Amino acid sequence: MLPACVGLIPFGLVCGVGAAAAGVGFLGALGMSAIIFSGAAQILVVQLYTDGAPVAVVVLTCFVAGLRFLMYSAAMAPYFRPLPARWQNGLAFLLTDQAFAASVRRFSATHDPRGGALHFLGGGSALWLMWQITNAIGFLAGHVIPASWSLEFAVPLCFIGLVAPVLRDVPVIVAAVTAGGFVLALAALPMKLNLIVAGVIGILAGTLTDLARERWKAR
Amino acid sequence: MEGALNVWFVILAVGALNYLSRLSFIAAFGRRSMPAWLARSLRFVPAAMLTALVLPMVVAVPAADATAWVNPRVLAAIAAAAVAFYTHSTLKTLAVGMLALWSLQWLAGAFG
Repeated sequence: MLPACVGLIPFGLVCGVGAAAAGVGFLGALGMSAIIFSGAAQILVVQLYTDGAPVAVVVLTCFVAGLRFLMYSAAMAPYFRPLPARWQNGLAFLLTDQAFAASVRRFSATHDPRGGALHFLGGGSALWLMWQITNAIGFLAGHVIPASWSLEFAVPLCFIGLVAPVLRDVPVIVAAVTAGGFVLALAALPMKLNLIVAGVIGILAGTLTDLARERWKAR
Repeated sequence: MEGALNVWFVILAVGALNYLSRLSFIAAFGRRSMPAWLARSLRFVPAAMLTALVLPMVVAVPAADATAWVNPRVLAAIAAAAVAFYTHSTLKTLAVGMLALWSLQWLAGAFG
């Protein structure tokens, strides 16, 4: 999990910077990193909420972005299965993109669920702690560093760093391009609804492309 | 942010929904496996949602850059995306993107 902790540093800093740039208070920023514990959702909250989107739209958009956790949850479920329910409930909170990536290989390599769970608990807790520290530092840096440095541009850059490397597969490219096109084309939609509408259309476009490709290959 | 109460409501609601997504299949272990159509669609959530999140941030022209004839953020973002695609490195993506933006802003200031 150590490489995951190091990889988290720039992302945590950037999320703190994003919260500061949007004018969130320190307590609110800490609350977001501690409770939401997801960079994409935190940035969505500060972007949408400060732009005046209604609470329901903010929550719904974050929910759709968080649907990827269903994927991780399903992949981890067999490994958590031998554990008591109390453990499962606790470990689920620590399930993030990074914790998933770092432990799914570990779990499939070991046949000792308790060892794997302890590793996940330790690593996940370390990631959570690192997330709080880097978010707080980023928040403070965002207030100290002058606006002329355009530090808030690091927020989209970080997400570009996540998305660009996965654009190697036609359906994924279709999903991204469609979502990107619609989010700009629908910018005039009220209540910042363009983001969730474009996201859902992008997901559908990727799915349909994938289905079409499968049909075509099967012929 | 206006309405401190609303902010905390948003934080708690988003936190709770994220937690339920994380818990979903772990809590329903074994009894329910993921339907194939859902598994297929979920693969596209990050690419679609993150692109929808990022693009408006890149295209929006802040007041400081408004005089430039091209939005330097768009060019810097394209450079960063190329670096991310080829290196898979967040740090290099951040470094190239920020340096590109600063250089372009400086050029715009000097010659724009």
